[in-house]
Amino acid sequence: MSAAADAAARAGLGVSIAAWAVVVFLQLPVIVVVLAAFSTTSYLTIPPQGVTLAWFAKVLSDPQYLSAIRMSLLLALGSTAISLLIGVPAAYAIHRRLVPGAQALTSLLMAPLIMPSVVIGVALLQYFSLTGIRGTLLGLLFAHVVITVPYVVRATLASLAGLELTMEEAARVLGATGFETFRLITLPLIAPGLAAGALFAFITSLDNVPVTIFLISASQTTLPVLIFSSVEMGVDPSVAAVSTLLIAVTGILLLIAERRAGLHRFV
Amino acid sequence: MIRARHGLLLIAPLALVLAGFFLAPVLMLLPTSFREYVPAAGFRPGYWTLENYLRIITDDFYREVIWRTLSLGLLVTLACLVLGYPVAYVIARGPPRWRMMLTLLVIFPMLLNLVVRSFGWIVLLANRGLVNNLLLQLGVLSAPVKLLFNLTGVMIGLTHIYLPFMVLMLVAAIRNVPRDVEAAAATLGSSRLHVFVAVTLPLSAPGILAGSILVFVLTISALVTPRMLGGPTYQVMATVIYDEYMQLLDWARGSALAFALTLMTVGIIALSSALTRRWAGMS
Repeated sequence: MSAAADAAARAGLGVSIAAWAVVVFLQLPVIVVVLAAFSTTSYLTIPPQGVTLAWFAKVLSDPQYLSAIRMSLLLALGSTAISLLIGVPAAYAIHRRLVPGAQALTSLLMAPLIMPSVVIGVALLQYFSLTGIRGTLLGLLFAHVVITVPYVVRATLASLAGLELTMEEAARVLGATGFETFRLITLPLIAPGLAAGALFAFITSLDNVPVTIFLISASQTTLPVLIFSSVEMGVDPSVAAVSTLLIAVTGILLLIAERRAGLHRFV
Repeated sequence: MIRARHGLLLIAPLALVLAGFFLAPVLMLLPTSFREYVPAAGFRPGYWTLENYLRIITDDFYREVIWRTLSLGLLVTLACLVLGYPVAYVIARGPPRWRMMLTLLVIFPMLLNLVVRSFGWIVLLANRGLVNNLLLQLGVLSAPVKLLFNLTGVMIGLTHIYLPFMVLMLVAAIRNVPRDVEAAAATLGSSRLHVFVAVTLPLSAPGILAGSILVFVLTISALVTPRMLGGPTYQVMATVIYDEYMQLLDWARGSALAFALTLMTVGIIALSSALTRRWAGMS
């Protein structure tokens, strides 16, 4: 029996066909966006009317898009870095029971995940207006920290839970201080989990509209918010081009994560 | 003593950020929901009212929006379950070679920008979009069908966005079903379908519940996809909150609706964890 026939028999032919059909459905909007980006007509037709790179040239020379891309990257990098800096120590303290009420604390740290994003957005809008930091980069940065830090905390807690205490105890017995043990033993051991958490935090920040849209100033916008408002104005193929760039970046990140860490085994 | 102080030092930065940029803003929103907004003048001074909350229950427009939000949540959850189960089953039980490929193809759209994915559906579903174009050219249709700015468009878009979450939850649940129980049932003469209905499905029920709750909660709080695929006319709770804040500038009503939405999501999550605990207690 061939491998494919064997496979089909094991999973059930009908179930396999349904599964692959659903997976194709999942790629559908991705495929059409990429096709639309290379199309000469503003609406995608079958067969395509012609192929052009003009929309990419337009996007990459448009100062509004370029500044939005810069802003998005800045926010995503900044909020991921801050989330790691404050999230990893907090998760470590919770895991090692260095603080009382670890269970309640964990729930509190995860609260921004349960709260609808749009509610966090409007709450911060009012708060920033009252405190006078509305429209500042600092306010926006910390808003993104609030929505990204739960992913870092969760990934750190999960990595620490899978760790054997014996290695750290050995380091302590051999005379390492608490911080040395963390830096030389614990941190390298949990690094893959942290990388996964950081990737998730980065993408969450890069993706966010419902919180960001309430907080941006007229002059400074992020890429997804710019695409969102461009679509409200009417569809333009340059939106497809910039979306295709985002698709390419995401795809490359995913492949790197799979190659380096075998991402599919983590989910 | 030193341990406790170290612990506090480690957790203090995060605690301060969350207190300052999450807890305080949300708590300060609460009084706003009891104010009255007078257009162009701001909040009526010294006046507190329950009107914003009463309106949510009594006003026909709000009632329709809430009803629509909840039914959309239910429909999207069901669609994700029906579409997601076969994928999850093949990932969990199928050949290893397929497993990696399918998992990556499920994760990829999940990591992709929400706005980009919704934009893809606009290209597909618009009146002059790909689906209508194709059906017109094939002669199936004589005039374009309206697939956007209504239930169809929003439901397709939201199902597409939350399906990967459901699949990943179901994969974990199906993997937890012991294979020897399935094998035992098969040995005792059950057909494959009967093994599935009598063993696999009930044993993966906790995962089905967890995935459904997640998708439902995410759907009823969604803003971007309903706005892009539903337009300014097909409104759900999150888009009404957006309009109250950004267009009508009525923060008082907007915040009352925001708390109503929060109450719904937190309530549903609390209910489901109580249910799960009871299940765990029974087994």
